[in-house]
Amino acid sequence: MNRLYYTPREVADALAISDDAVLDLINRGDLPAIRVSPRIIRVPIAAFDLWRSGFRPVRRTVTIRKTKRTLAIGEGEVLPGPRERVTG
Amino acid sequence: MIATTDRLLDYLADLVERIERYGAMVLQTNDDELGWGNDDRGDLLMDVRARPPLTVRSRSVQLTFQERWEPVGRDTWFRREYSYELRDHVRDYRRAFHRHDEARFVRTFDVVTHEHCEAPMGRAACAHYYCAPVASAMDALERLYDVWLTGAIPDCSALRCLD
Repeated sequence: MNRLYYTPREVADALAISDDAVLDLINRGDLPAIRVSPRIIRVPIAAFDLWRSGFRPVRRTVTIRKTKRTLAIGEGEVLPGPRERVTG
Repeated sequence: MIATTDRLLDYLADLVERIERYGAMVLQTNDDELGWGNDDRGDLLMDVRARPPLTVRSRSVQLTFQERWEPVGRDTWFRREYSYELRDHVRDYRRAFHRHDEARFVRTFDVVTHEHCEAPMGRAACAHYYCAPVASAMDALERLYDVWLTGAIPDCSALRCLD
């Protein structure tokens, strides 16, 4: 299976810059990356390709609207409790 | 988690921006649907669905971010419930971070939040796993996206079962 992410070292190789320069890009929030732990950072290949192509998302305008919809969070799951098991 | 209305508007814009920066696709059909719903109870509802970057593998993969915020004061909201989920129908697993039915979970397990892990999907060895509270939808996005990114099927048995 093909991997879906690069390591910072691989990004550094692809861009021909230093590891520190890659980490700087990530820490500044410029290059999209997932910080799995303090020592593990993954750069999704799709995100890297978009970033390298110059793509930057257009920031959306968010509004609040009245809705008749409901949000049934947890609906259908077996809830805990010794005497009142509920199956939705 | 407490936030002002302005902060929540930014919060949702931040989430969508980050999803798109990761190369994922927000599945709302048009811009009008991107926003907070204000329901009959006066709560604010978030319901964002996204798909990882287009590959053969991602067609049947969905990320869902749902939150319910209730008013707790003038221009102040509290995140009462959340559900952040990754359903991968290709690899056949589900991971989900939940907060709901708080009193019941506290009474039974002494926890506010829990996790679901199913591999294969629909078959859970344990109904509820321990899960530390998720700080935000962005935090959930990073954690779930990383699960998908690694390509590994989750080892649910490595989680702590609450039941």
